[in-house]
Amino acid sequence: MRLLLVEDHVPLADELLAALGRQGYAVDWLADGRDAAHQGATEPYDLIVLDLGLPGKPGLDVLREWRAGGLATPVLVLTARGSWAERIEGLKAGADDYLTKPFHPEELALRIQALLRRAHGLANQPQLEAAGLQLDESRQCVTRDGEQIELTSAEFRLLRYFMLHPGQILSKSQLADHLYDGESERDSNVLEVHVNRLRGKLGREVIETRRGQGYRYAGVGA
Amino acid sequence: MKSIQRRLSLGLVGTLVVVGLVLAQSSLWLFDHSLRRYLQEDLKDETQTLLTALVRGQNGVQLDERRLDPTFQRPFSGHYFRIDFADQVWRSRSLWDRNLQQPAATGLQTGLGDGPRGQRLLVYRADYQRFGQQFSISVAQDYTPILESFRRLQWLGLGLGGGALLLILLAQRYTVRSALRPLERVREQIAQLQQGRRSELDSQVPQELEPLVGQINHLLAHTEDTLKRSRNALGNLGHALKTPLAVLVSLSEGEDLRDRPELQATLREQLRQIQQRLERELGRARLAGEALPGAHFDCAAELPGLFATLGMIHRHGLKLEWQAEPGLCLPWDREDLLELLGNLLDNACKWADAEVHLSLAQEGEGYRLWVDDDGPGIAPERRDEVLGRGTRLDEQVAGHGLGLGIVRDIVEAWGGRLSLEDSPLGGLRVAVSLPGRR
Repeated sequence: MRLLLVEDHVPLADELLAALGRQGYAVDWLADGRDAAHQGATEPYDLIVLDLGLPGKPGLDVLREWRAGGLATPVLVLTARGSWAERIEGLKAGADDYLTKPFHPEELALRIQALLRRAHGLANQPQLEAAGLQLDESRQCVTRDGEQIELTSAEFRLLRYFMLHPGQILSKSQLADHLYDGESERDSNVLEVHVNRLRGKLGREVIETRRGQGYRYAGVGA
Repeated sequence: MKSIQRRLSLGLVGTLVVVGLVLAQSSLWLFDHSLRRYLQEDLKDETQTLLTALVRGQNGVQLDERRLDPTFQRPFSGHYFRIDFADQVWRSRSLWDRNLQQPAATGLQTGLGDGPRGQRLLVYRADYQRFGQQFSISVAQDYTPILESFRRLQWLGLGLGGGALLLILLAQRYTVRSALRPLERVREQIAQLQQGRRSELDSQVPQELEPLVGQINHLLAHTEDTLKRSRNALGNLGHALKTPLAVLVSLSEGEDLRDRPELQATLREQLRQIQQRLERELGRARLAGEALPGAHFDCAAELPGLFATLGMIHRHGLKLEWQAEPGLCLPWDREDLLELLGNLLDNACKWADAEVHLSLAQEGEGYRLWVDDDGPGIAPERRDEVLGRGTRLDEQVAGHGLGLGIVRDIVEAWGGRLSLEDSPLGGLRVAVSLPGRR
């Protein structure tokens, strides 16, 4: 999952980058509204965390610009302005959720998880469930037939992406786009290694290979 | 204060009545005076005629009846005379059996004398010397017909004057009303302003009212602007304080403090207190309260947005509904009302099982708002405690009970009342009754 964090307060951004990184998200960070308006619309993010008090361009204007340009990426607004009038304004501008500062890092993590699930049509699930597997996002482990299987961070990230796109064919470049932030080096061999490890832990049939097309998450057969 | 219209009417009527009466009475008096002068000449002529009618006959001085005016012969004709000699008195035949008092002085008498049959007499006396005798001739003329016509004239004048007064009053009322119409319009607009049905006064007014209306509009704009600026400044302050606070909260939850649980607990508690205090005080400072007379909250325009936001926050299939008369406008600031309703509904959503209902209605002068939910509700004996909780700022517990702090601040600022009741949906009803604005 690749996230864009737009926050101009450096210490908070540092905290959030560290916390989100621990949760297995690839995060790009921007501090200026104008940069965010451009990059948010061009890079394939899965979710955007947007602060409203930004230099360069106000966060709400950035959001409106994205929505006017047809960007459908879920946006979680992060703001110190918590009055109801402002929340309503944020929603009207196109926000999908609204979190007021100060907040608990845990709360932010839950909101991001819920928002991602909802964006992929998996609303109202306490845990991410797809085709026979349950993923515990806080502990980063997967449950198969009541048996808990530990995952490494890289495996967790990959499996989460697969489970949010069950049954879809995902190309290697698409996977790379969404699993690594803009600055990491992308090596398709590394991806293959992680896919193979996941197969080793969960069974070969969980992830199918479509030659020349990519991978497809099939789950553990219903 | 009495109305301008009434004051103008009273002033006008008073002046017209006094001036009219004085004018009418003094002109009557002047007329009466000159008439008497004129009649005095007649009476004087009559005494001279009588004088010439006195002739020396066989039995001394006698009156030549042929020379007398026939009216002196006809009884009670209204013309009388009396001639006083040293030793005798002659009276005109017209006096019949009545007497005519001899006036004390010569000339026209100032008062009117009594005559026969209730007549009032104008009496003139002249003294002469003839045939070696001193005598005085008094003639009198009945003045009653003239008095009567004066009275008629008075009645007529009174009637005409009254009619004219009525006419003038009506005309004045019309003039004043049309002259005051712009003022009345401004009064109506101010009333609408207070009921939240308009946000400024119409500036198309007569020259005399322009400064007043201009100044009121300026004040309105100024108040609104000040409120906007102070809200903005508060928002900035909140942003400046809450962002570092978010960093601290995040740090207090971090790995580094895992092995120092006491330190972590203290840090968390202190941060929680700072956060609460900050929220509450910023919330209070944001309130417009009664400051804006032109403020209004259009239910049909604002509630859908609020309910969409609530629906976004509470995503577990709650049935959220609101109900208000079409076109209902509440005369308070939009942000204040959104804050009030947002907090109440947010609470209701937290506790509700499946349904939250808001109903707004006008009740007489004031308004009532009901927020109902189908949650567990609050037992009647605990309601006072819940309402009383957080009366003092440092007692307030966010997230517990109803978190009614800011709601109570708003309701108090508007002079309203907050109460907890049983809801027909099975849970709690929070009832807010707000007095109308004057």
